[in-house]
Amino acid sequence: MNIAVLIKMVPDTESRLEIIDGKVKEDGFKYMVNPYDEFAVEQAVQFKEAVGGKVTLVSLFSDNTSIDTDLRKMMAIGADETIVLRQQEYSGNKPSSNARILSETVKELNADLIMCGVQGIDYYQAATGPMIAHFLGVPHVSGVTNLELSGDKLIASRQIEGGLQIVETPTPVLITCQKDMTKVRFPALKDIMMSKRKPFDNRDVGSEPGNDVQTTECSLPPARGGGVILEGEGPEEKVDRLIEKLKMEAKVL
Amino acid sequence: MDPFHNYDVFGYSLEWYLILLVWSAIALGSHFYQVGFVVRLIRLGKDDDRFNSWKQRLTEFLRDWLGQRKVVQDKVAGYAHALIFWGFLLLISDIVDLGTGGLLQAFLSNIQLDGIWNLIVDLGYAMATVGILIALYRRIIIRPAQLKGASIEGPLILLAILGIVLTAFIVEAGNMIGEETKYNTWEPIGVLFAKQMDGMDHATIASMVDISYWIHMILIGGFLIEIPQTKHSHIIGTIPNVMFQDHNPMGTMIPLQTNENNEAVKTDDLDFDNLTLGVNKFADFTWRQLSDGWACTECARCQDVCPAYKSGKTLNPMQIVLDIKDYGREHSSLLLAGDEPKESIVDRFTPDAIWACTTCYACVEACPVHIEHVPKLTDARRHLVMEAADFPEELQNLFNNLERNSNPWGFGAHTRADWAEGLDLKVGEPAEYLFFVGCAGSFDDRNKKVSRATAKLLKEAGVDFSILGEMETCNGDPARRAGNEFLFQMLAETNVDNLNSVGTLKIITACPHCFHTIGKEYEKYGGKYEVYHHSQVLNKLRQEKKLKIRDFEDKVTFHDPCYLGRIGGETEAPRGALGGDLIEMERHGTNSFCCGAGGARIWMEEDADKRVNEIRAKEASKTGADCVAVGCPFCMTMMSDGLKSIGDDKQVKDISEIMLENLEA
Repeated sequence: MNIAVLIKMVPDTESRLEIIDGKVKEDGFKYMVNPYDEFAVEQAVQFKEAVGGKVTLVSLFSDNTSIDTDLRKMMAIGADETIVLRQQEYSGNKPSSNARILSETVKELNADLIMCGVQGIDYYQAATGPMIAHFLGVPHVSGVTNLELSGDKLIASRQIEGGLQIVETPTPVLITCQKDMTKVRFPALKDIMMSKRKPFDNRDVGSEPGNDVQTTECSLPPARGGGVILEGEGPEEKVDRLIEKLKMEAKVL
Repeated sequence: MDPFHNYDVFGYSLEWYLILLVWSAIALGSHFYQVGFVVRLIRLGKDDDRFNSWKQRLTEFLRDWLGQRKVVQDKVAGYAHALIFWGFLLLISDIVDLGTGGLLQAFLSNIQLDGIWNLIVDLGYAMATVGILIALYRRIIIRPAQLKGASIEGPLILLAILGIVLTAFIVEAGNMIGEETKYNTWEPIGVLFAKQMDGMDHATIASMVDISYWIHMILIGGFLIEIPQTKHSHIIGTIPNVMFQDHNPMGTMIPLQTNENNEAVKTDDLDFDNLTLGVNKFADFTWRQLSDGWACTECARCQDVCPAYKSGKTLNPMQIVLDIKDYGREHSSLLLAGDEPKESIVDRFTPDAIWACTTCYACVEACPVHIEHVPKLTDARRHLVMEAADFPEELQNLFNNLERNSNPWGFGAHTRADWAEGLDLKVGEPAEYLFFVGCAGSFDDRNKKVSRATAKLLKEAGVDFSILGEMETCNGDPARRAGNEFLFQMLAETNVDNLNSVGTLKIITACPHCFHTIGKEYEKYGGKYEVYHHSQVLNKLRQEKKLKIRDFEDKVTFHDPCYLGRIGGETEAPRGALGGDLIEMERHGTNSFCCGAGGARIWMEEDADKRVNEIRAKEASKTGADCVAVGCPFCMTMMSDGLKSIGDDKQVKDISEIMLENLEA
């Protein structure tokens, strides 16, 4: 089975987030593999281990090479090859044009199965995957929580409002993976080291105009004040203070 | 009949001589064959070059082996053992004499030394007798807790060697009685026996002596055959164990790969094709780790001090050591043929036991014969993490967080210096000292207060210091003790690069794990620093009156952190820095009991009914102190939680906080 897995590099959730001139300041970010995409890699590797084949990772990102280690770690899980499309003006907030560029590379791979996370945890658009399916002209099943091989078909489970939907689909198909689809393994050190010998292909790509949304404004949520711990001798005094605060400050009593 | 007996009634007898010869050949042959077998098993282990510093090794050998330094730390059992041990050293030459028909005696008498030799031997037998009687009393009458479940082998062997000793006295005594009784005053105990026997008829005495002689010889031969098979292998096994004891500072671990200068090979240059990651096979251990198995006497001192064992977990450090020996024996034919048994070392130890260790080194400290329990477990962890990728799930978060944000909790690395807000500290600049804050002191709310207290005291005393700020990363200890040596090394290399770039070589830290790792482990990774625990610096400032601090008035007890006290060897500075009269817990100083956090245990789940910190909290509670002083951020967390869960509202404070409270304005 020939599987392509799309990987989005997203800012580490613990990165310093600043907004300058209405724009997110991105140059201080540390990046990590989008956690939903990790499920896709793990599931793809499990299929490969079960029926043989090849797993190719495809990522679109800027010139920043600090992400390479994390991508290699995905290969340590068991993927065979990585293609990184390097784009000068890369932004994670352009699903349409990003999907167009990615789909061109994926097309070359002739994959039976294309997998990616349900959404990126940077802009939460959940759009790139289905758009790639569109550009490739293949069906897609999104938000899959469980995926099984059944002969040359795939059986996908989707959590929907109040129930579970089971979808049977032929290949080629694009699947976007929901949280907890599978448990992502921690690669052994030997595998991490061996991954350094696997092919890692950097390709320059240009920009593609797309029908992308325009961000007009950006702001940080208001800072929350810290909690107050009431001091006092014993619970009774503390409760008295609390009542006083609820009356005087919160004015709810 | 006693073939050599010089008692006139008997005379020489060839067949008895032959029987003795055959028995000696069987006993010695069996003994040496078995010892050779054990040596072959131990030699399957990897190299560990400890064949150096001979002068130091000899001194240690005399002190620890001959002098029984650690053995006698347990007063009753220890001195009983020492008496038996010294007794047998003194009397051992008598075995040669009895086995050769008095040749040694005859030779010594030619050079006028027989008298003094008789005295030495007699004294040896006497000491051994006393030792054996105490030991038997302890095993049969007192039966202390750690002997519950001990095999019957112990008392049986004691009875056997008691037999060896008593029969020797009877033979000695018999030699004095003849047509004309001549008491040999060089053998005072022998004389006591002779006085009892004198007056019996000669035939009775003759048979007593003969029977005693043969019992004596049979028991010695039997003992020789038994030694290599049981815990009595320690009689031989402790010799290499004590002689080749570890000369590295306690707690130091070996790098993944080292070059010819004994420095760690950089992570980028590691030769992964020729690298065994941790231990899962018998032959993955070094010879010295294997020899531990045959040096163990099953005295259970390691078991008694082990926090994992005492809190009811699967780990028993003594069993780990015995597992090595038993595994080697049970799979000997496969192992010696170079094959792999189906059962691995990890299977034998069991993963639960491997993950239960807090790496507090109490077992290593307690062991009288320098057995190294902890590295066996951390080596097994290395295998489980780096080779098998099979480890407690919680650790995956730990590793990810350390990789991404270089701290165990995964807080954003850029927030590392937030604790210092408003203190106006130098960041990343050269200064006389560098304050290496550590992760807990940087990110954990409770411990941030400790960092602030420490910084304030240093400023108060006018110490010129800076911090690394965002450049600082975890020292790597949690990853390393959890088996992820590679991650440790990456963190160590980052820290060394950053520390060297700032160029300050004197480092202060309030975390004993940073203290140990940066001070004693980083040299192999290219970083040579003078590292001080904050209590050492604060104590000095206090003694030099650069900090004017009143003695505290509360009732305070101090919990020694393992990596400062036992492993770091520093128990005075924290007490000096605190000042005032401490109420000591029963176990303190180098005998302190772990809080349960070490060995990355603080990042792993712990069953509610098996918490190490509650044991220690109870000990602190028993002192009646109002406040528990600590010198480690992880002890801070563990002791606070432990006291809470036993319902004690004692405060837990760091040394620096107590000092700051008592600072004279």
